[in-house]
Amino acid sequence: MTQRWVLDEIVDPFGAKVVVDRAPDGTVREARFDLAGLPRVDPLLTGHLAAEVPSLVERLCGVCPAAHHLAGIRALESLAGGVELPVAAVLSRQLLHHASAISTHAVRAVTTNRDDAMTLRRLAKQVMTAVGSPGHFPATAVPGGVATPIDAEARDRCRALVPDALAAATRIADRTLPLAGPVDDFPGADVALADEDGRPDLLGSRLRAVAADGRVIIDAAPVGEWDGLVAESMPGDSAPRPYLIAVGPEHGQYRVGPVAQLRIGRLTTPRAAALQDEWSRRGGHAAGARTVITVHSVEVIAAILDRPELLDGRILVEPAAHSGAGAGVGIGWVDGPRGLLVHRYRTVDDGRVGAATVLTPTAQNEYWLALLLRRAVAADRDAPGPDDVPGHAADRGDTGPGEQGHGDPAGPYGPPMAARRLVDLEDAIREADPCLPCSSAPAGAMGLVVEERASGAPGAPSAVSPRSGDPSAVPTGPDRPSAPAGQVSDPSGGQ
Amino acid sequence: MSVPSRIIRITPGVLPMADVRVADREITCCLAYVPEAQVGDFVLVQNGFAIDLLDPESAAQSLAAFAELGVIDDPDTV
Repeated sequence: MTQRWVLDEIVDPFGAKVVVDRAPDGTVREARFDLAGLPRVDPLLTGHLAAEVPSLVERLCGVCPAAHHLAGIRALESLAGGVELPVAAVLSRQLLHHASAISTHAVRAVTTNRDDAMTLRRLAKQVMTAVGSPGHFPATAVPGGVATPIDAEARDRCRALVPDALAAATRIADRTLPLAGPVDDFPGADVALADEDGRPDLLGSRLRAVAADGRVIIDAAPVGEWDGLVAESMPGDSAPRPYLIAVGPEHGQYRVGPVAQLRIGRLTTPRAAALQDEWSRRGGHAAGARTVITVHSVEVIAAILDRPELLDGRILVEPAAHSGAGAGVGIGWVDGPRGLLVHRYRTVDDGRVGAATVLTPTAQNEYWLALLLRRAVAADRDAPGPDDVPGHAADRGDTGPGEQGHGDPAGPYGPPMAARRLVDLEDAIREADPCLPCSSAPAGAMGLVVEERASGAPGAPSAVSPRSGDPSAVPTGPDRPSAPAGQVSDPSGGQ
Repeated sequence: MSVPSRIIRITPGVLPMADVRVADREITCCLAYVPEAQVGDFVLVQNGFAIDLLDPESAAQSLAAFAELGVIDDPDTV
């Protein structure tokens, strides 16, 4: 029997589209990355056993399987009332998570530092294999710990690759940081996971939010407080526009990812912390942030491989209750390669999911990306193109392999969009890094479709909320009542 | 979404391309990230790029997950 796409008319997994909303006079009202091809899987998870959900989401999403794997297992442990993991299990999960970050970020350096990128990928693969995840989909974590212990031989194979990997990561950072990048004028907050001292921790137990002016909005919130931290302006939407409840829907927008990870506190590893300082001095573009985080992850892996507890045979504890067996709410989070990822499951008595929320970095960064795209589209049509401006993504080594020219699609509202404008759009997308392979596509090969719509036309994006210095923006309020992010697909709103 | 797809032909080049079959569709994708891919291999495809190779067993598990969630109507691999 031939398979048939049931959602064929709704979901095009192969599309990447920017929607530009123009006012009648041709000025850009807003530009948005169309997330319709990234439908939220939350409703599909209802009715499934909670214990099955992490692997289902991994399989569906596929781009960041390790992040979904760890967030999902953490949510199951949260359902069980929290689990005190053995140290060896904690360390093995950290190895998986940081190796995943390295693997993801290294792709960006293929054009400029191919050998270094491959060196980093080799370390990442070796580490993931050592902790029991040799394939694309990880199998390291289980509720209460990890599935298999790492042995001394596997550890030593990883150790042997660390010096070259650290040198490679440093070379990539040294090359990337001095290059010009987009001006970072994001007016919202930066949100990332942290340790108890407020320092970035990609697998941290605390959430930290820092305003654009450096003011700490959320210091060190534990995962149990998640429902009181973030709400969605458009609950359940592919682009839910979440905001920090403490600030409110009008000005509570935020972003996640490597830039946020570097802005919420000082890194804990020495070489990366020094690079973080340089990154801050130079303006802080996302391409540089990814290289600094890569160095940090190599350093973290090196430190973990030196810890004797890693080889401790105790890798599993029995959760107090079987994960997901009863009714309750479980929340798990990680700070993945693209930023904060949150899984929230509400189960009913038979352990099945009554409601689930999977809040991805892409959904959280959509507002930031919209600002970047709007600026790219609204730029002077006679502005210098990428050939004239140093610091284009291709120069920063922030693209995938290869290079080819752009098309020059015509829009119905004005002259054709110039090829250089498409390059600007690509750069904007690479900056915010939605969880799609197009984000790291070769320059000119992102396959973007630009759809122009008249302001107010059906499907035209709603306007960005007004920001300081942006009087042209039209205010828009949520067209539905806001709900805590953990309740967006939970009509009952209860447990 | 990440779609397991089987490679049916490869066009070499600076940007190697492949025709892959996924469910009842044939699409073209770029193999830049998985240059080692061969005809008959399963790959994960998103937005025109094959992002990783999958062994047949893992591909079958992914397709079963898609079928279980109602995204495709038959989990049999292509």
